[in-house]
Amino acid sequence: MEAAKKILTNVKMPFCPGCGHGICVRSTSKALENLGYGPNDVVLVSDIGCSGLVDPLFATHTIHGLHGRAPALGIGVSLGLDNPNKKVVVIQGDGGATIGLQHILEASRRNIDMTLIVINNLLYGMTGGQMSGLSTNEFKAYKHSDDDADPYDVVNLAHQSGAAFSVRVNDISNFTDTLKEAINTPGFSLVELSSLCTSHGMKKVADMKGFIVAEERLVNNRPIGVSKKRTKNSLLSSVKVLEKQFESTIEDSTGIVIAGSAGGGVQSAAKILAQAGILSGLYTTMKGEYPITVGTGFSVAEVILSKKPIHFTGLEKPSAVIAVTEEGWNKVKNRVAHESKVLVDRKICADCSVDVKDFLKVGGKMGAALSAVSYWVKETGVFPVEALFKVVESSKYAVSLQKAIQSAEELREVVYSYIPENKKRTN
Amino acid sequence: MIDASRIITEALVQSGADVFVGYPITPSNLFYTYSKERFPEFLAGPDEISVLQWMCGYSAAGKIPVTATAFPGLALMTETLNMAYMMELPMVLIITQRLGPSTGSATTGAQGDLKFLDGIISGGFPLPIFSPSNFNDAWTLSNEALKTAVKFRTPVIILTSKELVMTQKSFDMSSLEPLEKVDRTPKEFKFPFQPYKAGLDMVPTFYPLGNDEYQVRFNSSTHDNEGLIRKGTPESLANTWRLREKLEKRIDEYSFFELDAENGAEDLIVTWGVSADASRDSVNSIRGKGKKVSLLIVKTMLPISQKIYDIIDSYKTITFAEENMTGMFKEMIFGKRTTSKIKTATKFGTMLTPSEIEEKVN
Repeated sequence: MEAAKKILTNVKMPFCPGCGHGICVRSTSKALENLGYGPNDVVLVSDIGCSGLVDPLFATHTIHGLHGRAPALGIGVSLGLDNPNKKVVVIQGDGGATIGLQHILEASRRNIDMTLIVINNLLYGMTGGQMSGLSTNEFKAYKHSDDDADPYDVVNLAHQSGAAFSVRVNDISNFTDTLKEAINTPGFSLVELSSLCTSHGMKKVADMKGFIVAEERLVNNRPIGVSKKRTKNSLLSSVKVLEKQFESTIEDSTGIVIAGSAGGGVQSAAKILAQAGILSGLYTTMKGEYPITVGTGFSVAEVILSKKPIHFTGLEKPSAVIAVTEEGWNKVKNRVAHESKVLVDRKICADCSVDVKDFLKVGGKMGAALSAVSYWVKETGVFPVEALFKVVESSKYAVSLQKAIQSAEELREVVYSYIPENKKRTN
Repeated sequence: MIDASRIITEALVQSGADVFVGYPITPSNLFYTYSKERFPEFLAGPDEISVLQWMCGYSAAGKIPVTATAFPGLALMTETLNMAYMMELPMVLIITQRLGPSTGSATTGAQGDLKFLDGIISGGFPLPIFSPSNFNDAWTLSNEALKTAVKFRTPVIILTSKELVMTQKSFDMSSLEPLEKVDRTPKEFKFPFQPYKAGLDMVPTFYPLGNDEYQVRFNSSTHDNEGLIRKGTPESLANTWRLREKLEKRIDEYSFFELDAENGAEDLIVTWGVSADASRDSVNSIRGKGKKVSLLIVKTMLPISQKIYDIIDSYKTITFAEENMTGMFKEMIFGKRTTSKIKTATKFGTMLTPSEIEEKVN
């Protein structure tokens, strides 16, 4: 900490005559100075409203933000500084406290190392003295307000959310000592201070007694919330590098639409197809489409296999449209172009004029899409089916994926088999 | 196979980004996932307003924060984005466009947020918007975006689209050159230090909150060089005016585009973002049929450089290729009025195809 210097500047208080905010400001500076903080040790975060006029009064670092958001801004400053020798003090009024109530709860939940001072004058001072979410029913009756909803108990809310220290102080003679205690508390502390609004509320401190909530002092013994720092490897280093191992018969490009239902392995079948294309020296793209409810509804994937680099990744006229479930077929049947080869599962339409196969029967619910893709690869001869086996070889689901690829053979007359390199016998 | 979300995330970290603060939203989810794997710090905010406020706090404390969202999140962030702009806080926001209005179709791509971003800073102040057109752009433009954020002390946007950042492609990763980490050494300044006093480059020297050398004040309201609220003084108004000047007058330092000009061509296709690859194919097809055509891919969408206007003015007909209803970039150049000189190849709800662009050009 730096040598003791004044926390406040010599700027005149900007508040209305008799306003309680000046007492709150002086109490805050006294508390900081008594604890040995110098101006450069403190970051003051201010809100909007009468309490937002405090910046010029402080010789500390200051940041003046939006209405209600000062506690959220303070969270960022505190975590960003990550320095126990620096103190983040946030000041806001009762209006700001309800706009940004979520931020107070979040600071409490995470026990962020900072002190929030809520200066409660029971009303919105700058806009005409309207009632706030922290106005008491007694005060609202006094102001002839029809609103009879109980006020938020922001001190208790902070406590219930995990704040290390939350307190309401009504007696101005206790402001400084309570603020010292709050500032000295590791973690999140909230101090609600009662403040007189002479322009819209009351003229004397004594009048407040009938209108304010009783003092409250609540403690949680919890560790300070910090943001963990870590060192991580490049995202590029975990990308599987695929080198050409097989030959492809594709001269230009071909695009395939694969459709099924969520959880049916459509996206993984498409990715295996695209990766097998790369192993066969092709440029490939793969994109998925599904409703926002990821675990239900249709699942559609598009794969382009091309001899030349691919720019546009959409598919105007697919060479093949494959569907293994009815909801998948309903989603893609309008994609069928004149030149499209169509392959659908028998359960979708047994008597369709398209090519119907028992993908679900031989591949099962999870393997039907891969079974259909494998069937298409073998039928068209775009590249050896061994490329598909090669892709899945190192997968943790290798056995079931290999089985799905193999199952396509039951739909064909010619029998083939593939033995992974590491399983081949040597003579 | 790789996607642009991975490339952009890696590029930002290599360029010096410190922390990702996010709330997941489709189709920006991959950024969230990858950032959790990669960033030196990762924070899950409870809502998008909190996310951007936390980022402002981090930025004011000297860190470079990044987030990724889509229109609904951006809408919630708008007031805080204005605050970050006014405070002159460097940060990067990735916006992945999806079909609107409102929640629209979260898993359908679009290019419908450009005009919203054009006016997003109250008063018509420019916000730098970078829009990568392919994977290589995703790499280099992310680096440029972050450098611009620091150099000009401003939030910047990387504007993407669902199909650009979620589609997986085969890709030669050796084409990605190592990226230069941004230098955050404070610039020299004329004593005494004032947090908003700028020199000839119109950008004030940045010192973080909490530093032991100089008192720093950040302010979201109209402020003087000290960072204190001043309503309508010449100094405070000049300070606000400077926010526009620093970005407009030095635009050529961060304006990026790709011009594939064909000698003798009278037709120009103007495009951006996810529609650029369809336009590249379209141009190849048109040229293959013996017709001359040029292609302009705009990568710094806002503010618009005079160079973009000059290129557009030098062609007889211009076709704007965009995945939105009316041609938003076209409207930013020419307004809503369409003449025989101006054509729009637009699409709503599905990707704009090369043949649809070609049809308009012809």
